[in-house]
Amino acid sequence: MQPLANVTPLKPAARAGAIEVKNVGQVFKTRSQDVVALEDVSLEIKPGRFVVLVGPSGCGKSTLLMMMAGLRQQTAGTIAISGAPILQPDPDRVGVVFQEASLFPWLTAEDNVEFPLALRGVPKAERRAKAQDALKLVGLDGFGKRHPHELSGGMKQRVSIARGLVQDPPVLLMDEPFAALDEQTRMTMGDELLRIWAATGKTVVFVTHSLTEAVYLADEVIVMSARPGRIVDHLQVQLPRPRTYEMLSGDAFGSLRDRIWRHIRKSA
Amino acid sequence: MSARISAKTLRYLIVIGLIALWELLPRAGLIPELFLPSLSSTLIAGWTDAGEYGHALAVTLYEVVVSMAFACGGGILLGAIVGSLPRPRILIMPMVSSLYAVPLVILYPVFTVWLGIGSESKIAFASIYGFLPTMLATAAGIQTIDPQLLLAARSMGATLSQRLVRVIIPAAIPTVLSGLRVGGALVIVGVVVSEMLISSAGIGYLISRYRTILDSAHVFAGVLLVLFLAIGFNAVIRWIERKAAIWQTGTRAGQANEDIATGAMQPAT
Repeated sequence: MQPLANVTPLKPAARAGAIEVKNVGQVFKTRSQDVVALEDVSLEIKPGRFVVLVGPSGCGKSTLLMMMAGLRQQTAGTIAISGAPILQPDPDRVGVVFQEASLFPWLTAEDNVEFPLALRGVPKAERRAKAQDALKLVGLDGFGKRHPHELSGGMKQRVSIARGLVQDPPVLLMDEPFAALDEQTRMTMGDELLRIWAATGKTVVFVTHSLTEAVYLADEVIVMSARPGRIVDHLQVQLPRPRTYEMLSGDAFGSLRDRIWRHIRKSA
Repeated sequence: MSARISAKTLRYLIVIGLIALWELLPRAGLIPELFLPSLSSTLIAGWTDAGEYGHALAVTLYEVVVSMAFACGGGILLGAIVGSLPRPRILIMPMVSSLYAVPLVILYPVFTVWLGIGSESKIAFASIYGFLPTMLATAAGIQTIDPQLLLAARSMGATLSQRLVRVIIPAAIPTVLSGLRVGGALVIVGVVVSEMLISSAGIGYLISRYRTILDSAHVFAGVLLVLFLAIGFNAVIRWIERKAAIWQTGTRAGQANEDIATGAMQPAT
C-alpha cells in the first residue's frame, strides 16, 4: 500500500452532491479574435437542491453545464463536485441528460439505460436489474423492450433520465431536456421530474430557455448575461412544494418571472 | 369476400406471366428465335453445355467474390477514414466525386495492358467500380452520425474505442449497407462487362462469344445465369440488412438508406 500521508482526506460522503464553481472562465479562440464565453463565474450549490440556469442565447449556460459534466475544460478556475475537482466525465458522480436526440436508436429502452453500466463491464443480470429499477422510477415499467422510435417524445426523455440515474450519481445535469417537447408534455414532464427529484434527493442543475419552467421547477434560479457570460442574479424561489399549476397565475410566481425577464431583456 | 389480390401475389403473377410470354411468343413465331429464343430452348442450350457454363460460372463467381472483398473492404476502410477526419476529406472527396461521374469502363483496356486478359484485370476493374459507392456511403454514414450521441457516450465515460465499437459502427451500419448494395451490384456489372469486352473465360465471355456466332439460345442461357447471380446477391444483402439493421425505421440514417436503395446514387456506366 502507498502511504497517503500528505493527501488531505476528502469527505465525499459529507459533501456528496455539492457543486462548487470557483472563478471559472472560458475563452474560445477563433481565427480573428478570442471570444470570452464565461467570465469569473462562481457559485455554490448545496446537495439536494434543484437549481435552474437561465439566460439569453449565447450566455454560456450550456457551456457551464458541459464543464460541470467534465465534457469540456474551463480555461480558468475550478469546478468541484462532491468535494473533488471534475476533470473528465465521471458517471459515478454526475449523470447528464441531453435533448431528445441522444438515445441510441439501435438499442431498446432498457439497453439504452444499461449502456453506461455496460461500458464498465457490470454483469448482465445486475445491469438488467438496475435498468428495470430506473425505468420503474421514471414511470416506464414495461416499456423496456421498445426501441426509441416506438416511444413518444416524453417517453424518450424519461428513458434519458433513467439512463442518467442508473448509476445513482448524486448530481443530475440536464441540458434543455424538454426543449423539443410540446407544451402539454413539457408541463407533465416537469411534474414528473419534480416527483423523481423528490424521490431520489439528487442535486439537479437544469438549463432552460423557459422562464416559466425555471420558476416552476427551481429552488434557486441563476440568471446569466450574454458575452461575456456572467451571473447577474441568484434568486431563491420560496414557493411551497409540491408545485401546482395554480401557482403559475399567482403574484409570487409572476414577480419572480418578471425579475428574471428584466435581467434578460437588459443583457440581450 | 372481395376478390382483391395482394401486391405480393400480383408480383408473382407478373413474373409468371413474363416467363410464360418468354416461352409462348417465340414459339408462336411472333418474335424470331434470333431475337428472343424461347425459354425452353434457352434452358436446353444451357443444359447441353452445362460443363462449359459451370466452368464459366466458377470463373465469374471467383472474380466477383475477390472484387467484392477489395471493393467493400477498401471502400469501408477508406470511407471510415475520410468520414471521420476532415483533412483527408478535403483532399480526397472532390476527386472521388468527379471520378464517380467518369464512365470508368474507359479504363478497362488500360487494365488489360497492365494485368493481362485473365482474372486480374477483371478484378482490378470491378474492384474500383464497386469501391466508389461503398466508400462514399461509408463516409456519409460516419459524417452524419449525430454528435449528440457521441457526446452522450462520453458523458457516460465511454473511451475512444468504446465510442467506436458501441456508437460509431452501429450508427453507420445502415448507410454502409446501402453502399454495399450499390457497390456489390456494380461489382457484378464490372466483372460481366469486362468479361464481355476482352477476355477468355467467364459468363460474360460466353455471352459475347455466342453472340458473335448468332447463337441466341446460348447467349440467353448466359444472361439467365447473370440474372441468378444478381438475384442471389440481392438476397444475401437483404438477409444481412434484416440481421443488422432492424432499428433503422424512423431514423435519419434509415431515410438516407432508402434514398440510396431506390437508385438516387446511380453512376455513369
